[in-house]
Amino acid sequence: MELGTIEREIFVDADPEVVFEVVSSPDHVKQWWPDDARYDAAPGSPGEIVFGDPAAGGMVVQFSVVEALPPRTFSFRWTHPVGETPARGNSLLVTFELAPSGRGTLLKMTETGFREMGWEVAVLEEQYREHVTGWDFYLARLGPYAESLAARP
Amino acid sequence: MSTRVITGSVDDELWSAIGDPTRRRLLDLLLADGGGTATSLGRQLPVTRQAVAKHLGVLDRVGLVRGSLAGREKRYQVDDAQLARAAEQLASVGSAWDARLQRIKGIAEAIQRTQADRRGD
Repeated sequence: MELGTIEREIFVDADPEVVFEVVSSPDHVKQWWPDDARYDAAPGSPGEIVFGDPAAGGMVVQFSVVEALPPRTFSFRWTHPVGETPARGNSLLVTFELAPSGRGTLLKMTETGFREMGWEVAVLEEQYREHVTGWDFYLARLGPYAESLAARP
Repeated sequence: MSTRVITGSVDDELWSAIGDPTRRRLLDLLLADGGGTATSLGRQLPVTRQAVAKHLGVLDRVGLVRGSLAGREKRYQVDDAQLARAAEQLASVGSAWDARLQRIKGIAEAIQRTQADRRGD
């Protein structure tokens, strides 16, 4: 493959139907990725995913389903500019492929488009996540620590 | 050797150079062996010497390897600084997906267990 591509594979101890729901439905997607997800599962409908609070430095990113063939394939494009039709060259393409395997599902993920887009867009999102989770991490510990200090005689 | 100016477009090429599995394998071999030629690397891979030479050319253009003349062939070594830089960029995005896939696995398996309990499996 000539284009910059990320490929990952993971075994999930659940039926393909269940895994398909988790990778495709907005309610589940926001449990494993953005803070909010608003899109129609119908291919081509415009949608968006939200990281953090857009009113306080968060990001709203365009998101559009390309293909939804339960329980085998789910793909979407993201990061295209608002108002533009997502296509090769203006967005990253993420594809989930599901195959039954033993008692579970082999889930394969590929993300392509970095060559056309530059990797900056993906790194930007990742840095934003790190920033947010970083603060979550420290704030979660700061609370109990502050309480333990206050509880001292 | 030419001086390489690091710009955004070079970063894209860097990404594309590393995006290829054969080239990643070449980098692995070069790191493990401390260097190699198209011939020595071709012996360890299921591709022709010519294909290896072409991949080495791509890696050379983005500064991931450096070639020096050794007899009739060029001997290549990995440029550690450029590789570290590329690895950092790739790891950032790749590890984000690793974490997401782990969460997908956790959620799906929890749903499966709940359904199995309900059925009384």
